[in-house]
Amino acid sequence: MMLRGLHVAIIQTAALLVPAPERAEWLAEWRAELWYVDRRATAFCLGSICDAFWMNRNTRAPRAHRWFSLESPVKCVMFLAALTALSFLLAFGPSGDNLAPPPRDAASQSVALAAAERDSSPPSPADLESSLPNRMAHSSTAGAPKTEPPPGGDQDLPFACFSVGLVSLAVLSSVRPLRLGEYPVNRYAPAAPFRLLRWVFLALKMALVVPIALCGAGALGPIVPPLAGWVLFLGLFFGFRWALMDQRERCPVCLRLLSNPTCIGDPSQSFLGWYGTELLCSRGHGFLYIPGTSTSWGGAQRWQYLDPAWDTLLP
Amino acid sequence: MTDVAIATRLSHSAAIILQAIEAGYVYGFSVMETTGLPSGTVYPALRRLERDGLIRSSWEAQAVADAGQRPARKYYRITRAGQATLAASQKRYPLLNRLFPVPAQEKA
Repeated sequence: MMLRGLHVAIIQTAALLVPAPERAEWLAEWRAELWYVDRRATAFCLGSICDAFWMNRNTRAPRAHRWFSLESPVKCVMFLAALTALSFLLAFGPSGDNLAPPPRDAASQSVALAAAERDSSPPSPADLESSLPNRMAHSSTAGAPKTEPPPGGDQDLPFACFSVGLVSLAVLSSVRPLRLGEYPVNRYAPAAPFRLLRWVFLALKMALVVPIALCGAGALGPIVPPLAGWVLFLGLFFGFRWALMDQRERCPVCLRLLSNPTCIGDPSQSFLGWYGTELLCSRGHGFLYIPGTSTSWGGAQRWQYLDPAWDTLLP
Repeated sequence: MTDVAIATRLSHSAAIILQAIEAGYVYGFSVMETTGLPSGTVYPALRRLERDGLIRSSWEAQAVADAGQRPARKYYRITRAGQATLAASQKRYPLLNRLFPVPAQEKA
């Protein structure tokens, strides 16, 4: 009976991945099918996760998370700025300045970063966690005597953040390609300075992710000191990952999120045939072609700038 | 497009699943049991085939399920386009239509 509950729980958890309009029918089918399974039921239920992922990626219904739209680049930057401000408030709020440099008597405890500096190698999140929580915990201790920071102590934090940022980027590049795609320039492409705007936008997003992750780690430091370093690492990792994924779904001209995803080709008849998704810029700047699978002749997404004649067809 | 060209564009698992449905194994678990493919392969493949118009699905009437004291099944039927694709696959892979015995219960 307990196992039955676990199996139902697996299916119900997987159902969260399925877009809401399809979820009830999807769940009904898996529950009905589970009724017939008398052996290896757990393996059967784990298959529902693959199916749910497929539904999540291939359904033509609008995605649930679109209700909170960051379509406009200005809105996206303002949202990140608001998050940054909230993070600062949490880290430097009424409870104290969590990211302040440690007092002198704590200097002996924050040795990992200094040792890492001497070795000229970036510290790991584990090294960082031995120093970051200390500086956070000391600053939040009520009534603790405030003393002068150690010489060079306030220079450790930027170095540590930079190092952890580099490590998270290196890990991210090993998990998924950092490449944004192919944007071949034709005569309808905007001038070079305008094309540079998307790089500025990407840099801005990544720059705003850093203080959010840092303040998040700072706010968590006094609560769960051993995890602060890992929170910083994971925050930067997922923040950079989101920034890249968001950038890939934006028009390189107006920087707005692309819309109208359309499936092209048949995945079940895919031998040597291209299939994937086509996205459209609502302002008519071009199309983005995202291949459904990586192949030796083309695995990267490709942008196509449109000529002004398309303006009459698009709102 | 020639039949051979159609057949070569159908993946092996898709062809086997299509053959199983044609043979009368018309709901997901029976397809899984017959083909020996895991659930994580069969159900997404069924959805792909349905999206491509090679099969279509329909829910069994609740009264029939209640009479059998079991949950209602979601049945899959092969479409005309699916039959054409399967026929092309069978020409290319002659052993395909000998893979599964026809289930007496399902055909009845």
